[in-house]
Amino acid sequence: MAEDIKAKLDQYRTAPFDARFPNQNQTRNCWSNYLDYHRCQKALTAKGVDITPCEWYRRVYKSLCPMSWVEKWDGQRDDGSFPGKI
Amino acid sequence: MAHQAHAYHMVDPSPWPLTGAVAALLMTSGLAIWMHFHTTTLMSLGLVLLLLTMYQWWRDIIREGTFQGHHTPPVQKGLRYGMILFITSEVFFFLGFFWAFYHSSLAPTPELGGCWPPTGITTLNPFEVPLLNTAVLLASGVTVTWAHHSIMEGQRKQAIQSLTLTILLGFYFTALQAMEYYEAPFTIADGVYGSTFFVATGFHGLHVIIGSTFLAICLLRQAQYHFTSDHHFGFEAAAWYWHFVDVVWLFLYISIYWWGS
Repeated sequence: MAEDIKAKLDQYRTAPFDARFPNQNQTRNCWSNYLDYHRCQKALTAKGVDITPCEWYRRVYKSLCPMSWVEKWDGQRDDGSFPGKI
Repeated sequence: MAHQAHAYHMVDPSPWPLTGAVAALLMTSGLAIWMHFHTTTLMSLGLVLLLLTMYQWWRDIIREGTFQGHHTPPVQKGLRYGMILFITSEVFFFLGFFWAFYHSSLAPTPELGGCWPPTGITTLNPFEVPLLNTAVLLASGVTVTWAHHSIMEGQRKQAIQSLTLTILLGFYFTALQAMEYYEAPFTIADGVYGSTFFVATGFHGLHVIIGSTFLAICLLRQAQYHFTSDHHFGFEAAAWYWHFVDVVWLFLYISIYWWGS
């Protein structure tokens, strides 16, 4: 299972088509993967497990999201004002 | 001596449309002046002129209809159409604010946390004061219907009692809402939640006050024997308006207070 994830990450070029977000507006795609990465990271570090599975979400949101959004959200998480549920 | 050979009302020349238009001009430009130069003089002047116009214009209509007999059946039919069209326009007015609410709440943006109610908003419990408000307005719908039947049956005292009760229920609603506004944990400045909540419920509250005032005028007129058992259109118009206000509240309650919480 971990090998599959590593293989997927090696083959990664950009975010693939996600049928949950089929239209031109990809805001939700970026938002969803940003949340999923940080939730995954939080959950797996709480269990004390390797966070490699979370890498996928990080790659996707890094590909999709405008840098200014990521910077803003990272800043909000740092000072506790991030509105999303992580 | 010639007199009209038709049942319609050729209204005598009146200054009130002009004063009303001038009031509208002064209020709108006064609003702009207030925003730029911090004086409310022009706007207040417009407001005073508006109040004077409303009082005198409607007083004249009552004179023409109740005392001079100009409101024949076809004239009354025209007045009915007028009130229905006006209420329809108000429906569209509120439709806009409901559109705004649903636009923001059905697909909440990342800025809100991707959820509704937005992150950080503590909503009002729909089963506390808002539910009481619903009961109050529904009850007032019953009492205004009671008043209507009393008028139609020539029961003067009952008509006055039920109309008074309706108005008191209206005041009770307004007082409860005012208290809710004061005690609410969020303000109009709290993002799109605050905006949609207070603009929609605020305009509704204004309409409750207008409706209560209209009913109060009807109470005064009933006390002064203006209404007969088969001609009391002023009252019917007020009752229609009041039911409209009640229905808007029901939509607000279901959408914003209950679903939106």
